[in-house]
Amino acid sequence: MTGQSPQMSWVIPGWGVLALTGTLLSSCVEAVPQDMIKALESIDRDLIELRAAEFSPSEYTRFAHQWMALKTRVQTDEDVIRWPWESNDLEVALLQLQEEGSHTVARLTKERDELRRSAEEKIARVEDRFRMITMQVDSIGSRLVLGQKPVETDLLMKQARSFYEEGQYDRSLDASHRAAQNLVTQAALLSNELGRYANRDRISLWQRMAKDTITWSRVHRTSAIVISKADRLLILYRDGQKVLSYPVRLGFNGIREKQYQGDGATPEGRYRISSKRGQGQTQFYRALALDYPNEEDRRRYRLGRTAGRIPASRAIGGQIEIHGVENELMAQTLGCVMLNNPQMVLLYDRVDKGTPVTIVGALHEHNSVALTLAALDDRREET
Amino acid sequence: MDKRVMTLPVMCIVLLLAACAQPPTEQIQAAEKAVKEAQASGASTYIPDEYAKIEGTLAALKKEEMDQEGKFALFRDYGKVEQLAVAAKSEADRLTTEATKKKEEAKAAALQAQRVAQEAVKTTLELVAKAPTGKDRAAVEAIKADAEALKASLNQVQMAIDTADYPTAQTKARAIHEKSNAVSQEIETALSKIGKGKLSTRKKK
Repeated sequence: MTGQSPQMSWVIPGWGVLALTGTLLSSCVEAVPQDMIKALESIDRDLIELRAAEFSPSEYTRFAHQWMALKTRVQTDEDVIRWPWESNDLEVALLQLQEEGSHTVARLTKERDELRRSAEEKIARVEDRFRMITMQVDSIGSRLVLGQKPVETDLLMKQARSFYEEGQYDRSLDASHRAAQNLVTQAALLSNELGRYANRDRISLWQRMAKDTITWSRVHRTSAIVISKADRLLILYRDGQKVLSYPVRLGFNGIREKQYQGDGATPEGRYRISSKRGQGQTQFYRALALDYPNEEDRRRYRLGRTAGRIPASRAIGGQIEIHGVENELMAQTLGCVMLNNPQMVLLYDRVDKGTPVTIVGALHEHNSVALTLAALDDRREET
Repeated sequence: MDKRVMTLPVMCIVLLLAACAQPPTEQIQAAEKAVKEAQASGASTYIPDEYAKIEGTLAALKKEEMDQEGKFALFRDYGKVEQLAVAAKSEADRLTTEATKKKEEAKAAALQAQRVAQEAVKTTLELVAKAPTGKDRAAVEAIKADAEALKASLNQVQMAIDTADYPTAQTKARAIHEKSNAVSQEIETALSKIGKGKLSTRKKK
């Protein structure tokens, strides 16, 4: 006899069924594991931090759309309980998006780093070229040839730097690119305006002009002056022999070819001293007035007017001199040739009314302007 | 057969059909309209990540609506669609507010930077007018050209503001301000060196 009652024999299987049911229910899984949601939220945060929506909008939009679609499914499936053996395509889709998202984060991080590097390098290259052009342009006194271009470039470079610091590398690159284009324009402007300094025919002409002046000095056994604008040099000849050379300052736009009154350019051509002005006769210590404009200057001026290069309101100008300094602090010249006063005295005493003065752009092919233009051309592709 | 017995199944079918769920068209349309308004307010520019998500939500709720429509009439349940549409509208409205705020902030910052740049350029131009025809006339002429270039660049700031490109307007204005200050500094240095130097009478050249 076991002593078990009939009721007891029913209770034991009952407990067994309950235990089995409990086990099965506890084996049921949530339709969406929360750690997956958290992982995707983290990927989304990474993409936002990478500014993927701005940097790679189509990619981020695709991710965001998929993520929102799955999030919607997560919400609609939130009440669903699945058996462990039941397939869960939502989980599969979330996993797939998580994998794709991680790859996107890795790739965009790499691309963004590359873009940052490109932007940084571009800024450095353009700034370097800008500094180089500024230095070269200053060295040949041709800053005014460029007009407003240097400031435009400077502003673009500053913008490129600002965008770079804000992490907007694509905008930074765009601003640097525009600055680089501006520099190309500057080089072209210089080449266009000052190309004659690198032109062999023109240099040959200038050399002939200088040679003729020296020959005249020798033949007439008297003084003659040759001034080279590129070298900023005045050379005095006596009987065809060089007797002295002084550095000079030119008009504020002296390197250019004079076209009209007020352009600040120093004229090129064959002139003569038309009058000598001693102390009390000039505000510039001592002055040697030249016979500018001569017939050749007038012809060139008329051509310029006809071609529309010279505004109708502009006269040809005049009173071009070789002079001293009025006030060292206020030293200025609007198109003349200026010497320091001690040298002006020496020159003044050695020349007469009628002494030829030949002003040329340059005396040799490898002049400072030609070398600058060549240097700019060599480095044109670098930016 | 009794006529009432015949009527009963017909009435049941009618009642069942009448009880079939209808899509929440009104709420969906309201959500779509709100998303369009968010875009118009500049959300795709000022909060692009959030805007991409709301577009995604809208696409998802439309898909859910289509999924429900694909089901047998008696099993359709638009409860979630309605819930999503209401949430999407509310989120889109929030984005509109947020984008408008950010846009206004960007505009205000650009306008402020523009005012500062304008002031700086004005000061520079006033200094240029006083600039000495000093030791290096070329430098003075260069400074004048710089000041004119700065003045002209202010137009570009205005153009950027007009096209609502506030980041460009702001960076350009900041650059002008910085450059203007540098030019002013250059003139002030020259002025302090020259002191009360007498200006020469202008000559024909």
